[in-house]
Amino acid sequence: MSEPAVTHDSPPRISVSSTSTLANRTGSWKYIRPRYQDGVAPCNARCPTGVDVEGYMNLLREGRIADALDLVLRENPMPAITGRVCHHPCELACNRAQYDDPVAVHLVEREMGDRVLSMPPPVLRRTHTEKVAVVGSGPAGLACAYHLARLGYGVTVFEEAAKAGGMLRQGIPDYRLPRDILDRQIRWFSDAGIEFRCNTRIAGEYADKLLRDYAAVFVATGAHRSRPLGVTGEDSPRVMAGLDFLKAVNRGEAPEIGRRVVVVGGGNTAIDCARTALRLGATPVVLYRRTRQEMPAIAAEVDEAMREGIAFEFLAAPRAVHHLQGRQAGVECERMVLGEPDASGRRRPVPSNAGTFSILAETVLTAIGEEPGLEALPLHAAAPDQALIDELGATPAAGIWAGGDAAGIERTVSDALGSGKVAAIGIDRAIRTRNGEEVPPNDIAELRWSGGNISMSRWRGDDPVQRHGATNEVVGFDRLNTAHFVHVTRQREARDADHVTVEPVGTAFERATDGTAFDFGEVNPGLTAMQALEEARRCLNCGVCNQCELCLILCPDVAITRQEGGTGFDIDLNYCKGCGVCAMECPRGAIVMTREGL
Amino acid sequence: MKKVIVGNHAVSLGVKLARCEVISAYPITPQTQVVEMLSEMCASGELNARYIKVESEHSAMAACVGASAAGVRAFTASSSHGLVYMHEMLHWAAGGRLPIVMANVNRALGPGWNIWVDQSDSLSQRDTGWIQLYCETNQEVLDTTIQAFRLAEAVDLPVMVVLDAFYLSHTAEPVDIPDQALVDEFLPQRNATHKLDTADPHAFGALVRPEDYTEMRHDQQLAMARAMTAFDAIEQDWARLTGRSWPALEAYHADDADLLLLTSGTITSTARDVIDERRAAGDRIGLLKMKMFRPFPTAALRTALRGVRRVAVLDRNVSPGHGGIFAEEIRSALYDMPLDDRPMLFGYVLGLGGRDVTPAVINDIIDSTRTAVSPEREDLWVGVKS
Repeated sequence: MSEPAVTHDSPPRISVSSTSTLANRTGSWKYIRPRYQDGVAPCNARCPTGVDVEGYMNLLREGRIADALDLVLRENPMPAITGRVCHHPCELACNRAQYDDPVAVHLVEREMGDRVLSMPPPVLRRTHTEKVAVVGSGPAGLACAYHLARLGYGVTVFEEAAKAGGMLRQGIPDYRLPRDILDRQIRWFSDAGIEFRCNTRIAGEYADKLLRDYAAVFVATGAHRSRPLGVTGEDSPRVMAGLDFLKAVNRGEAPEIGRRVVVVGGGNTAIDCARTALRLGATPVVLYRRTRQEMPAIAAEVDEAMREGIAFEFLAAPRAVHHLQGRQAGVECERMVLGEPDASGRRRPVPSNAGTFSILAETVLTAIGEEPGLEALPLHAAAPDQALIDELGATPAAGIWAGGDAAGIERTVSDALGSGKVAAIGIDRAIRTRNGEEVPPNDIAELRWSGGNISMSRWRGDDPVQRHGATNEVVGFDRLNTAHFVHVTRQREARDADHVTVEPVGTAFERATDGTAFDFGEVNPGLTAMQALEEARRCLNCGVCNQCELCLILCPDVAITRQEGGTGFDIDLNYCKGCGVCAMECPRGAIVMTREGL
Repeated sequence: MKKVIVGNHAVSLGVKLARCEVISAYPITPQTQVVEMLSEMCASGELNARYIKVESEHSAMAACVGASAAGVRAFTASSSHGLVYMHEMLHWAAGGRLPIVMANVNRALGPGWNIWVDQSDSLSQRDTGWIQLYCETNQEVLDTTIQAFRLAEAVDLPVMVVLDAFYLSHTAEPVDIPDQALVDEFLPQRNATHKLDTADPHAFGALVRPEDYTEMRHDQQLAMARAMTAFDAIEQDWARLTGRSWPALEAYHADDADLLLLTSGTITSTARDVIDERRAAGDRIGLLKMKMFRPFPTAALRTALRGVRRVAVLDRNVSPGHGGIFAEEIRSALYDMPLDDRPMLFGYVLGLGGRDVTPAVINDIIDSTRTAVSPEREDLWVGVKS
């Protein structure tokens, strides 16, 4: 340094108080106070599997990918599968939908799931001597087995079929869930220490016998029997249960279905049947007795089926199947109209006076619902049409829990996963209670994401996400401060790893209009790793502080400080004047003004 | 490294090289490019600074006041109506002895609405307690911006770096951009004596009683006096490092001149050309360029003007009801000189609202200054259309 040195002969004379202003406790002025409290994001409350969606999106935003994967796997062991086949109600609930587009949660989850499958599974250490038997290796059974193994129990999964996977393997077509992904997922469970015994059928009496060797039995035998149409001519060889058709195709034994195929029904099985038939070279038409709006199938699946050129005949119900010459049948249909709402809240279809019409078909596939298989349960554990379970999956039969499609839940993969997890918690609590251990209190509502599914992290008490003065209430869009957000459109699926596109998904339909035939290759390409991280950054972290520091920056009294060693903030009520700027400005509704305690 | 850049970007690069830590500004023509470039630097990470967006110039200066009180280097840029909107906060910055640096692009005030060069905006802030430095070229703009931080921090006073609208702000010239290492050697980290510290909070800018207020103001006055000395030393240090010098008062062919033009800003460059031509024809004419307006270089002016017969002050500004502001201030600086040493002063008001000051205009001024018996009035308005 050369002259003149930048130093001061004497400090400048300025007006500054000689004493600290800490003596001036401006907090005494207030009549309301802010409370820093994390709520629940609507996606979490709506996730049938109980995943902390907001939590893992935030970890991805921070670049903590390993922590994000861990957070998902605490609740859902198969993100590669749910990312592909879940109906993602989280996205319907997403607050961002009211701002621009909902976050594409399923696409982010899928990309993470593929990462999970490319890594060795976690080592699930045995900490309990007890073993649990799981009957059925569909999503409910797999989830229950996984969570029990994570809780330290030995688990054996019994499966009637030659390969594990249940409806994931037998019912869901390849173009939605590639076999390779499923096989790797099952291997992932085996490698994690879960024992599978395939080709082993369990019936009621045997389930009781299992209790000699196992501390508990979880029955998740699904719903595999197609409901009959109940019309004349149904016994025609041209009529086939849709689910049997899908199973045969998935076994690699596709039956001859001819060109004209009629699919009866409006659920996911019907759509799967139609799109599978299309891929076998047929021209399917879907008959549904209500309209598009009432269809229980995943809306995106219906969209894709329509884009693939599949015909839909709404407000039409089959009345008879007439056997014609050769391999043909005539499906006699009646025109319906919508009447008063029924028990499901949907308007009931009633016959119109428009008379009947006929459709010619080589094959009729029925997909109007499936009956559960309850043979593995003792009689008193089931009603005629479903297993009887309590809040934690226990049946009236001692030592026997049940879940999945057999237990009367919403029949989706994610709901099955959730019910398996809940039963694992029920079994864990029963075994530990029997052993005289202290278990968390019985208030199940406390364990739920604001009335949604149970959080395993809450049950275990090891939530890695630090929550601040948490409440169990969903934070809706009206609680967000959108002034701090920027409009960003949702990521679209890419064609391939290096090509980032903003085109809407085209896929199979485009392949068809290219003049090439449909095949069983996966329809949806998913996102690249970069796109998935970009998409995660669109999450608004509704209701949960993500340390954006706006409150700290904007507090006029400097009453908000970072917690020592914590992840959040402290509000010093000795100086907070209760102005409400922090609560007003918090983008996520994680600060509320309250009169409490004053 | 030499680059061809506009004056606005010369400011931005100077601020970047000075490792400024907080920038808060509101856009206004013709200054906007200055902070646009800085905001891009903040966004890209090229400059490790916090850019605070605000809704007015008053808030921009308030943010700088807060940041500077907390001990960091703060900068803003403004012009014309933006600058006068800051007026109250300019007092807070200076009275709080905060070494904030601001670039002001000289622009006329409305009405009539006018975006061209005129010094009335910065000169109307004459009494706020800010050091004011007027630049002639883009190279001088960049160098002065860097020097301003060192000067401000040496005497705890804010500094305004002033440049002409469009003639500098939007005109590209070759500028030698110094290396960061050189600037780091010239300008060490700021070391504030008082800091606003939330861990040990004190009230800043609070009530001061009549018993103490005078001393605060007097201390400010002493700091202004020190700024004069400090400026010269800082200038020499810069010259040592870069070979470039931009003195507070620069004499050009003034030694043997019987008539001196007194200019500031870009009019100086035009006047230099006129002087070169007339010198070639044997005319003994020279020039004084005033870079520093606050603190006012009274002693240097008296020395430079001792024995000069006549001086023509070119004011691109006016104080309505009085005259050109440089002329008035110089008159008052010369008042105590012996009558024999004192030049006759002609105060010209010209170039307002961006009107061109061409070599022809300057030649006319020289001729009429030479031929007049004495100034007709204190304010000689040039080229007023009837």
